[in-house]
Amino acid sequence: MRGFSDHLSGLREMFTEKQIYIEKGVFLMKKLLVTVLVVLSTALISSTVSVIGPWSGVEMDAFLPVLEEFKAKTGIDYTYQTYRAEDLANVLPAQFSAKKAPAGVIFMWSNFITSNTQHVVDLSDVIDTDAYIPGALDNVKTSDGRVFGISYTAKVKPGFWYRKSFFESHGLKAPTTWDEFVALLEKIETIPGVKDAIASGNGVGWPLSDVTEHFLITFGGPELQKDLIEGNTTWRSYAVRNAMEKLVYLLEKGYFSEPTEWTTILEQWWNGDYGLYFMGQWITGMVDDPNDLAVFSLPGNRGMVFSIDYAFVPEYATNKAEALELVKFLSSVEGQSIQVAQGGHIATVGVDMSNYPAVDKEIAKLTEGVETLNDLDDSIGGLWQTAFWDQLKLIWVRPERLDDALMDLDEKMPK
Amino acid sequence: MALRKAKFRHFSYFILPALLLLVIFVLYPTFNTIFLSFVDSEGNLSLSNYREVFSSRDILDPRGLERGFPFGSLIHNLMWIAIHLPLTTLVGLFLAILLRDVKGGGIVKSIIFLGMVMPMIVGGIMIRFMFEENVGVVNLVLQTLGLEGKTWTAYPETALFALIFGSVWLWTGFSMILYSAGLETIPNTYYEAAQIDGASKFKMLLKITIPLLKPITVVVLTMTLLWELKVFDIVYIATMGGPGGSSNVLALQMYLYGFREWDFGKSAVVAVLITASTLLAAIPMMKSAGDEAE
Repeated sequence: MRGFSDHLSGLREMFTEKQIYIEKGVFLMKKLLVTVLVVLSTALISSTVSVIGPWSGVEMDAFLPVLEEFKAKTGIDYTYQTYRAEDLANVLPAQFSAKKAPAGVIFMWSNFITSNTQHVVDLSDVIDTDAYIPGALDNVKTSDGRVFGISYTAKVKPGFWYRKSFFESHGLKAPTTWDEFVALLEKIETIPGVKDAIASGNGVGWPLSDVTEHFLITFGGPELQKDLIEGNTTWRSYAVRNAMEKLVYLLEKGYFSEPTEWTTILEQWWNGDYGLYFMGQWITGMVDDPNDLAVFSLPGNRGMVFSIDYAFVPEYATNKAEALELVKFLSSVEGQSIQVAQGGHIATVGVDMSNYPAVDKEIAKLTEGVETLNDLDDSIGGLWQTAFWDQLKLIWVRPERLDDALMDLDEKMPK
Repeated sequence: MALRKAKFRHFSYFILPALLLLVIFVLYPTFNTIFLSFVDSEGNLSLSNYREVFSSRDILDPRGLERGFPFGSLIHNLMWIAIHLPLTTLVGLFLAILLRDVKGGGIVKSIIFLGMVMPMIVGGIMIRFMFEENVGVVNLVLQTLGLEGKTWTAYPETALFALIFGSVWLWTGFSMILYSAGLETIPNTYYEAAQIDGASKFKMLLKITIPLLKPITVVVLTMTLLWELKVFDIVYIATMGGPGGSSNVLALQMYLYGFREWDFGKSAVVAVLITASTLLAAIPMMKSAGDEAE
């Protein structure tokens, strides 16, 4: 019995030891698995930066190479989402009050960035502010000189684009006076197959506001644009009315098409349904043959909207370190060189001219001697911007309602 | 007595979670919104928000009487109801009767019902393109008939009507399906008896079908009316209330006050107006449900 019980004890000890080894082994495996998972997830989470920008379609395709180069250089992956600024303006305040942010790097209006500095990372010591062209960072600086956003690339809104081949085949040339401009429109209208002289892009309304600002700047001067932004003049002033009446004259003559979704009408214009198309410089990256493009400003124009894309890093970004690396890259010569090479952009840092496509070099020449200005509706923003776009859509089809439209715009200006 | 108290206690344990949710997510926001509508920009209790909203041309625009659209979002909503409600109800009833006991009727009904199934945001985008000059199906039909087409949503006189008729297309599936279900509940013996008595099909429709579909009609009318009072997504995506506010509606104006102007007091006033209107609209349905229960 004693021998059996000793044997049993021996077995019990053996099994207990084995059990201990097995349990130890399982414990170690669990520890290893957890460690691997933690490392893996940390690696996955920490090496990704999320970006929100306003571009989709062809414009987004032109931005992604920049992010790809950033990823290749730093090993930090990225995700990109498209979000319109006017939608972000609704979403971000609530997110910020919950101390959250939808992305690490967000492209947004400058007035939003400077109005929300308590939720935005101070970038004064992060980016090289001296590398920027003079004035590029002014709209994202506070009065004490701190910088809360980066200026990425800019686009100018130079004027009316046309296809060189279209003009050559119909014996047309760019006008140098207002009368020549009207005569040109009249001639285009008579070309068989052409629906209207000027294509009118639509969407939420910004393409129409770009045209309108060009008229305000040409016939009211750059000072008018600045006064309207600052609220120093009313929409019913003589200067505004004079400029708007030039536009209304053309609308009443039927030279402009009905407002149509701007990328749809871009294709139609390219195919010869329309002669001219007022659009920003980004059009050069959206057509099949940018070398066939040319542009002219309204005769007498002394100013041009220089629309910079601004971005910021929210304080509540989950991968802040990665986001800061990205903004450094986006504000560098290297990052912006890749972007300008796609066409349709102007760098805000010292990028060499050799990086620009030929047509963008021509645009750069157009900006010589003219004053660069902020975009009117982006600068004022809020309800007024929505009202501005809405009233322009009305004027485009009912130009006789100009008085009502100007009255509404005056009433909705921020006090 | 003790048993009743115990029963009540047990009853309240079961009902308490639902009641709590109701209080937190329905009653509290509702009363808070009503309270907010009386708080002005200085933080004082006053009627200034109501004065500002009801005197605003975004809500009521008397200039419309002289020159046409816009008339203000309140009038636009009333126009929406006046056109959309009878059209959707009648077309839905007509389709339900037409497709009853017809081969392939189920498939056709499913296709018509797709409008209800798709998100209204998608519906709004489709409406925008349907009425577009160059690519729109509406203009294609008009041109086939020898009429000139245009971008209907771009003009103040036609923008609201384009949205309304587009929404009839989206919403008709709802009334059609309800009426289809209602028609199945009418016993065939009524029609057989009427046939024996020599009643025409039209008389059977008037004297049998329509009266017996009254409860369904109340539901269709009420639900459609409630939807029309709150319509937002179609307008937001198709026209954003434009051009020049000519297709603006109350729900969109509430959004613009709240999230573009950042004036939540005025936004709350419009919310109160919409809530009061929907409560008024729901009374007939509640009354009808009460009558049925009795």
